[in-house]
Amino acid sequence: MSPERQVTEYIVHQFQPGVTADELDADYDLLANGIIDSLGLLRLVDWLDRTFDIAVGEADLAPSDFRTVGTICKFIKERSR
Amino acid sequence: MTARSLAECIQEHAVRDPSAPALAWRERYISYGELTAMARTEAAAYADSAVFVRAEKAPRTIARILGCLLRRRAALLAPDDQSAPALGDLVTELAAPETAGIAFMLTTSGSTGKPKVVPLPAAAVDRFTDWAIATFQIGPQTSVLNYAPLNFDLCLLDVWATLKAGGCVVLVDPQHATQPEYVARLINTHRVDVVQSVPMLYTLLNDAGCHGNSSVRHVMFTGDVMPGRVLTALPRMFDNARFYNIYGCTETNDSFMYELDGTESGPVPIGSPLPGVLALIADDHGDLTSGASHGELWVSTPFQANGYLRGGERDDRFVRHDGRIFFRSGDRVTRRADGIFALDGRIDFQVKVRGVRVNPQEIEAVMAAHPAVAEVAVVAVPDDLAGHRLLATVRRYSGAELTGLSLREHCAMRLSRPAIPSVVVVADEPLPRTATGKIDRQLLISRGRSES
Repeated sequence: MSPERQVTEYIVHQFQPGVTADELDADYDLLANGIIDSLGLLRLVDWLDRTFDIAVGEADLAPSDFRTVGTICKFIKERSR
Repeated sequence: MTARSLAECIQEHAVRDPSAPALAWRERYISYGELTAMARTEAAAYADSAVFVRAEKAPRTIARILGCLLRRRAALLAPDDQSAPALGDLVTELAAPETAGIAFMLTTSGSTGKPKVVPLPAAAVDRFTDWAIATFQIGPQTSVLNYAPLNFDLCLLDVWATLKAGGCVVLVDPQHATQPEYVARLINTHRVDVVQSVPMLYTLLNDAGCHGNSSVRHVMFTGDVMPGRVLTALPRMFDNARFYNIYGCTETNDSFMYELDGTESGPVPIGSPLPGVLALIADDHGDLTSGASHGELWVSTPFQANGYLRGGERDDRFVRHDGRIFFRSGDRVTRRADGIFALDGRIDFQVKVRGVRVNPQEIEAVMAAHPAVAEVAVVAVPDDLAGHRLLATVRRYSGAELTGLSLREHCAMRLSRPAIPSVVVVADEPLPRTATGKIDRQLLISRGRSES
């Protein structure tokens, strides 16, 4: 499964049950539309950390990196070890 | 005794000790000299009698507000989200007499796109900040943590009382506000003396085992019920502090306070009225009482607004009684025989989500206005960390292409961020009903509980 599909399925499953992964576009704004709030962001980062082996230091955690599935995938690509 | 002017006191600090730290933000300090210089630069551009300030957490925001105070403009503090543009339009419409003598205009966290605006007179803010400075011994050597967003009434204490006293405001970066280790490090690096927050911060700190924090002398919690396990852990979390439950509304500012004596394990009372505060209870017959009783709390404080901006005749929350203006809080309280007040809940359907008051009925109305929505119920599911989470269950018209995602976009244009339900379930099935044909909200709440 591609990272994009993994991320989409995780977000749908965790934050928006009832929606299928196919419905969530890669550029849908997860923050402005209230899918991921500040507490949800922590859960997401923790999951990224475990799933993709990314070390996310707290100092470089910017919400804009997690605005859409697309930006999250870009973040994974840049940070993968 | 007349209260000292907030703006004049801050200017005096800037003259007397311009290099003293006013704000701690990220890795640097902003001195009183720098802050007042920034404020004067911002203020040079103010044309209207009111200034729209989007409450992004940053020194510049505080400088913009200070600029308003210095030039006697009313600062309309708007939440830092998409619901703000409607407020920007309001500022240009305001005529000078409407904002005369007003320092801050806060918005009630009403969930719909048109929040009520609460104009706080400069004199009321002067009195409040004097009270806070005296009560929590805030002075030039004091550091106070600011956890709340800059448009919250909590900032009148964290930010504005501190600056009035010549102290240093330690600003929590909202990007890291849910990382307890970051907040604990801020507290210890800056030797923070005073911490005020909704219970969520203390829950986060406790669950992460961030204990000690010995520099802190005063810890205040407000805005929501403190979970019992966090309450009993407070003395370990702050091993050198006194603890207070503070009660207030945006409209009246802080009205009651209760200092913990260490024996509390269950719900903490809101305590006694602050000096100068009058409290009445309207019982179920509508009679106002002053003995031991239950009912809706009415308060009149030296720190309050006298009505909503453009509230007009529909403004039935502010009532004149015995020559003073009282605010009908909407909270149910019990006054015990010893005079101590306890909070029992709301008289309406309002709940708090991450410290912000929202009304599920208003959110339902916004969602129901979407043309593809056949029926909708929004319920508040209790949540340990957030206070409540909102769960929206929707039936769409058959054949409609509505999804939870598109309905969220509809909400985001019309609701403040905390009012957007955390879960939106869209289905073709009718909503569950009780035997009497009403939507079965209890069933929806228990569904929401089992999912978390």
